[in-house]
Amino acid sequence: MITPTDLQNFENQQRAWSRRTFLGKSAQAIGTLALGSILNPRLLAGDDPWRGVLASPHFYPKAKRVVHLCMAGGPSHVDLFDPKPLLNRLDGRAFPESFTKGEQLAQLQGTELLARGVKTGFRRCGLSGQMISDLLPNIQTIADDICIVRSMHTEQINHDPAHAFMNAGSINKGRPSMGSWLLYGLGSEAENLPGYVVLVSEGGGGAQPISARQWSAGFLPSKFQGVQFQSRGAPVHYVGNPDGVCQSTQRQVIDEVARLNGLQAERSLDPEIETRVSQYELAFKMQTSVPELADLSQEPQSMLDLYGVKEAGDGSFAANCLLARRLLERGSRFVQLYHRGWDHHSNLDNNIQVASGLVDQASAALVKDLKQRGMLEDTLVIWGGEFGRTPMGQGTGRDHHINAFSVWMAGGGIRPGMTYGSTDDMGYRYLKDGQEMHVHDLHATMLACFGIDHKRLTYRYQGRDFRLTDVHGKVARGILA
Amino acid sequence: MLLSTALLALASDVFATTPPVPETIDFNRDVRRLLSNSCFKCHGPDAANNQSELRLDLRELAIKPHVNKAGRTITGIVPGKPEESEVWRRLSSDDPLKVMPPPDALHQVTVRDRAIIKRWIEQGAEYQPHWAYLPPQRVTPPAVKSAARVRNPIDNFILRKLEERGIDPSPEADRATLVRRVSLDLTGLPPTPGELATFIADDQPGAYERLIDRLLSSPHYGERMTVPWLDVVRFSDSVGFHGDQRQNIFPYRDYVIEAFNDNKPYDEFVREQLAGDLLPNPTPEQFVATGFNRLNLMTREGGAQPKEYLAKSAADRVRAVSTTFLGSTVGCAECHDHKYDPFTTRDFYSLAAYFADVKQWGVYSDYQYTPNPDLKGFNNDFPFPPEIDVENAYLQRRQARLEREQAARIDAVVERMLAHQSEQTKVLSWASKNSASLVDTSDGWRRPEAVKPIGDDWTAVELKTDGSVRLMDIEGSKKREKTKTGAVIELEISAGHVAALRMDVMPDPKGNGTVARNDLGSFTVSPALAVRRSGQSDAEPLDLAGGFADRDSWTFTNAYLETSLEGRWRSNPAYAKEQQSIIYQLRSPLELHEGDRLVVTLNTSDLARVRLLTSPLGLRWRAEPISRELVDAVKAADAMGSVQTLSNSQWKRLAAAYFAGTGEADSEAYSDALATLREIAACREGRAFTMVTRAAEPMETRVLARGNWQDETGAIVLPAPPAFLAEATATTDRRATRLDLADWILAPENPLTARTMVNRLWHQFFGTGLSAVVDDLGLQGEYPSHPELLDWLSVQFVESGWDVKALVKLMVTSATYRQSSVGRPELRDVDPNNRLLASHPARRLEAEFVRDNALFAAGLLDAEIGGPSAYPYQPEGYYVSLNFPKRDYEAATDDRQYRRGVYSHWQRTFMHPMLANFDAPSREECTAARTVSNTPQQALTLLNDPTFVEAARALAERAIKESVATDFTTRLNHAFTLVLARPPTDTEATGLESFYATQLATYRDTPADVARLATVGLYQSDTALDPVELAAWTQVARVLLNLNETLVRY
Repeated sequence: MITPTDLQNFENQQRAWSRRTFLGKSAQAIGTLALGSILNPRLLAGDDPWRGVLASPHFYPKAKRVVHLCMAGGPSHVDLFDPKPLLNRLDGRAFPESFTKGEQLAQLQGTELLARGVKTGFRRCGLSGQMISDLLPNIQTIADDICIVRSMHTEQINHDPAHAFMNAGSINKGRPSMGSWLLYGLGSEAENLPGYVVLVSEGGGGAQPISARQWSAGFLPSKFQGVQFQSRGAPVHYVGNPDGVCQSTQRQVIDEVARLNGLQAERSLDPEIETRVSQYELAFKMQTSVPELADLSQEPQSMLDLYGVKEAGDGSFAANCLLARRLLERGSRFVQLYHRGWDHHSNLDNNIQVASGLVDQASAALVKDLKQRGMLEDTLVIWGGEFGRTPMGQGTGRDHHINAFSVWMAGGGIRPGMTYGSTDDMGYRYLKDGQEMHVHDLHATMLACFGIDHKRLTYRYQGRDFRLTDVHGKVARGILA
Repeated sequence: MLLSTALLALASDVFATTPPVPETIDFNRDVRRLLSNSCFKCHGPDAANNQSELRLDLRELAIKPHVNKAGRTITGIVPGKPEESEVWRRLSSDDPLKVMPPPDALHQVTVRDRAIIKRWIEQGAEYQPHWAYLPPQRVTPPAVKSAARVRNPIDNFILRKLEERGIDPSPEADRATLVRRVSLDLTGLPPTPGELATFIADDQPGAYERLIDRLLSSPHYGERMTVPWLDVVRFSDSVGFHGDQRQNIFPYRDYVIEAFNDNKPYDEFVREQLAGDLLPNPTPEQFVATGFNRLNLMTREGGAQPKEYLAKSAADRVRAVSTTFLGSTVGCAECHDHKYDPFTTRDFYSLAAYFADVKQWGVYSDYQYTPNPDLKGFNNDFPFPPEIDVENAYLQRRQARLEREQAARIDAVVERMLAHQSEQTKVLSWASKNSASLVDTSDGWRRPEAVKPIGDDWTAVELKTDGSVRLMDIEGSKKREKTKTGAVIELEISAGHVAALRMDVMPDPKGNGTVARNDLGSFTVSPALAVRRSGQSDAEPLDLAGGFADRDSWTFTNAYLETSLEGRWRSNPAYAKEQQSIIYQLRSPLELHEGDRLVVTLNTSDLARVRLLTSPLGLRWRAEPISRELVDAVKAADAMGSVQTLSNSQWKRLAAAYFAGTGEADSEAYSDALATLREIAACREGRAFTMVTRAAEPMETRVLARGNWQDETGAIVLPAPPAFLAEATATTDRRATRLDLADWILAPENPLTARTMVNRLWHQFFGTGLSAVVDDLGLQGEYPSHPELLDWLSVQFVESGWDVKALVKLMVTSATYRQSSVGRPELRDVDPNNRLLASHPARRLEAEFVRDNALFAAGLLDAEIGGPSAYPYQPEGYYVSLNFPKRDYEAATDDRQYRRGVYSHWQRTFMHPMLANFDAPSREECTAARTVSNTPQQALTLLNDPTFVEAARALAERAIKESVATDFTTRLNHAFTLVLARPPTDTEATGLESFYATQLATYRDTPADVARLATVGLYQSDTALDPVELAAWTQVARVLLNLNETLVRY
């Protein structure tokens, strides 16, 4: 149980310790030892940023960081990862009522339900022989590195709450997102860069609105919220010097602020001032490190080609994937990439081709690149949407679907080259075969990869101990390596 | 190992001294937290999830023997006999299968906790009702030894505790600190140098009280008090779900500001918000207040199920009411009985039922899969009804000001014309040419002859004898083609000027009796205008500078009503049977000669009947008669043809009409005037739309099993307060209403209402609530640090007639509040969070006031009260991820750029980055207390956000221009006083002087940087100043605006 007051105490103590250590006062040496034995020792290092509330993991951690490739809008599982021959055979015919009676539908409410077959073929890929659509030729080449989960299901049939659910395990607003939970639990290893970064791209039809709440820290302290990198202008808000202020002037301003703050600290004995000074230092470092990070021109052409980046800094999914790798290299804990082009209510055949074309190469490249750098083993890659799409047609497209959808994961302690869970013959509903994967289960499993027992990472708010998985969640042990 | 236990051990064992187990155990103080935290989750009120029969939340159940599953008779608690009590046996057991809490439970108990339970059982295991569920008691403030330190009864309570611990309070803060602290606390603005000097110089008794009275009567007091209120009621300019469209609600904010300024009694304030519409003969203001019930999230997402979203809204409202007024977490009981507090699921839905009459829709659109006949024709740009159209003082003042400015602009042009003979000749000639229109009509509109109306492939036209043109569908034609023109009408006009075109649209009695050729009674028309000069075959297009309809159109952009239509006019079906007009102003008025014709292309597929008029008069946005004086002036000018015969005032009137009708004489002023005309129209005669509550037939409310909206098997419930809090209310035949809910909330015996507000205000002025968890006074909340003080203040609050200002005054005039905030390191271990208040807690300003403080010091802040939400600078492209509709963000380019933070546009899904960086909540859920963080993003904002750089530029200019002397020290003193209400110390000043010298040298060598710096923000620097000096001073000002001290109330 940790309350805001506890957290404040905790941080005060962190600061007090760093101060005492700094000043070389040894009177508290015993306390230091006591602290050191239960807390992450890095907490004691100088003006270190937040290192997480978890002193040590609950069990052996495989993953150190996550990259979540979020296909906003809801990609069609039957078109991409979950082939259904029967559905193809019934193409254009009435969808069997036994599947749909009494079920919640979105835009198909009150309409005649027809099966819609899949236009593009699948093939068995790699040694693992996983089935992947020809829409994703590059992802086909990493079949042996990924685990496809076909038994995903969620509770929310509209985009907004479904995104909230996928990100925070709850549709109630004000709940922390999974990235915030990880930062709170583990802190970040990034020096001078945000530990939780969000990048957004679009294309493929139906630009899905997304919300900053999807990376909100909710009731957790706001420093745990995700930082969205902008595709236009400064990547992080206000990270550039004002017009007409050169770097040395900016430095001198910060130094002068620090000097005056120091004088004020002597007068007011306010420990918060010390934090303020260190935040200005960090801010100044970010002013250099963020542009350096975002500068893809440092990457060799071969790397740009691998990801399919046409123009560095064009805000494309490909550029964002490359940026994500650079962030992960620099220690960011959680990187989330949104691609907004997956809401294919109509013109599915064309739109899914466009959206797939925009993400396929870079998604696969990211996995390959992480692998060749030896980072895949402790980087968890998650690829998928907030829900799936109906095996029933909706005109020329498909509607939202919550009873089954597919995601794939790679690295970070996930067993590669396997398909987990399955759906019925029409791709309508996940099968209860012991391999079902609710969103809560996905969260529990993700935390397990980090060595975190999802039931024991909690935060007290309004009198209750909240967690990412609410009161649910089962770790899918079958996919853990 | 999870840190939480480590933390607790840390907090209690390493730094703070563990308090001893009290001799006499007090249930509320010592025991309840333990039982609630470690036991109630399974052995508490949520009986359905209790796996054993043991209940510990109620004494009669805890002490009752019962047979357990193993067939053994056990008793949870045997008063006086811990050894015979199952609770103690389990707590003290070594057996991992028997010990409670179970070893894997989150909330373990400490050695001390066990000792407390044991002693409590020994002493008879008396329970007390939870403190917050008992009515507050009027207590006598305790006597204290140092009575001289007492300024009001608050101090008795605080000092008593300090004296018990042997701690001295801090001395009173110095006057400068005090006036800055309390000014920022009560108005969100720092003192001006004058106010500072006055207070410091006032050595008469009562100086501080006079200061407080002045601040409490400042209109900025209401703005300051409104910020936390808006957080708690989740006030926002956007609906929150999916497309996060804009909603019209700002008059509610003005209502709140005014309520605090007028010191509206809190009970009235609450009652109006919950049920203003149900009061007898509700005033518009009381309707506006009911916007409170409309602040839930809404959706317009395609495919959303209306019933699902109605259930979400109902739950949202229960959470809002319980957080805002009751400091309770009833929201937990949506799916199961509350785990800790005695709220049942039935209570939750009974509370929801009070709002079942609120007129609303689950999905605010009319989709074919979720038809919604009420909202036919709605699109993503439409507002969220029901709304009312109310007078708004800010808009009235704004319109009056704009009209004055417009008049002054025209006067200035006239003054310049007066000086030129040639201009006078033009005016006379204009008057003479247009005398027919001006003298023969009462309103300046003449009706040219419509010739040759031509329909298109789908539209037949007919010229009526009254000069109007009737449009009819051609049978069998496809109407929805995009290439339609509807009709082209040529107007034959005698020579003269045309500044404006008027279109009268009238119901067609031969059609469906409405102005439109459809069932909705709404037409769309996008007229294009051209002139065909005599003898020419091609018509030359004319630019329109806005259309001004005399009825509200049904054309919205981002939920804003279009008041000066660029082109498309969609008529409101509410006026389907009324004749209506629109005036189109020409961007460049023109003169027509004999034989010239105007060509009007209507571009419509559904307009029924139209008549066109023209006028030589311009800059008019509403139909009004021509003044007698103007007519006389025209007559005189026409008759005599000479300026000498005109009186001075006649001449001026004529010249003004000439300028307005032609734009001649000063084209730049004319284009400004056209812009102002649109601004004036946008004020809508000082009226604005706002969402309100309208009562409708109540919808059925059922208990939803586990909150599942698709489960329709739950019991139907009627409105009722939570059962355990409701006194035996007289049953009536009538269904209870929101007014009854308000009465119950405000009943003197309701234990929560006054405590909730008092506790939040305490949090506001002392940084932490008397009970720290301000949004949960329930069992999982905190036993107050000073329970008697909370009670005393709550009783005081109710007995004062819910007088908020009196309560605030009591707090800020206490000696406790007036203490110095200098840290007390010696108390760090005894009272690490300063809950005993041995010093004033320094508090960082809230996001809005961080902004206000900087702009005010810079002299840029707009002091206007109330009004529509404002758009400060925001990084480009920030709204790119919004859709349905796509959104552009246009930062204000006038005085509205400098509006206070409380007026900032609040987009729930994309909070303004400056506000978000300083911990302002997104207001999707009620927030009773903001987190306070200290992050690099805050540093980046203050260093680089154009708002703060611009403020530094303006502040630098003030330091230079307002200082009595030109030396560095005088200027620095002034800047310091503006920002920090104090002069710099010598050490501060010396360092800054050399810093300044460096900047001066740098900028002297980099003129390009000097120029670039001057472009940050709208503010135009005084060109008389040395720009290099200004640039260097701007850096000094940036230092000041970035200081920790600037952000903090010390």
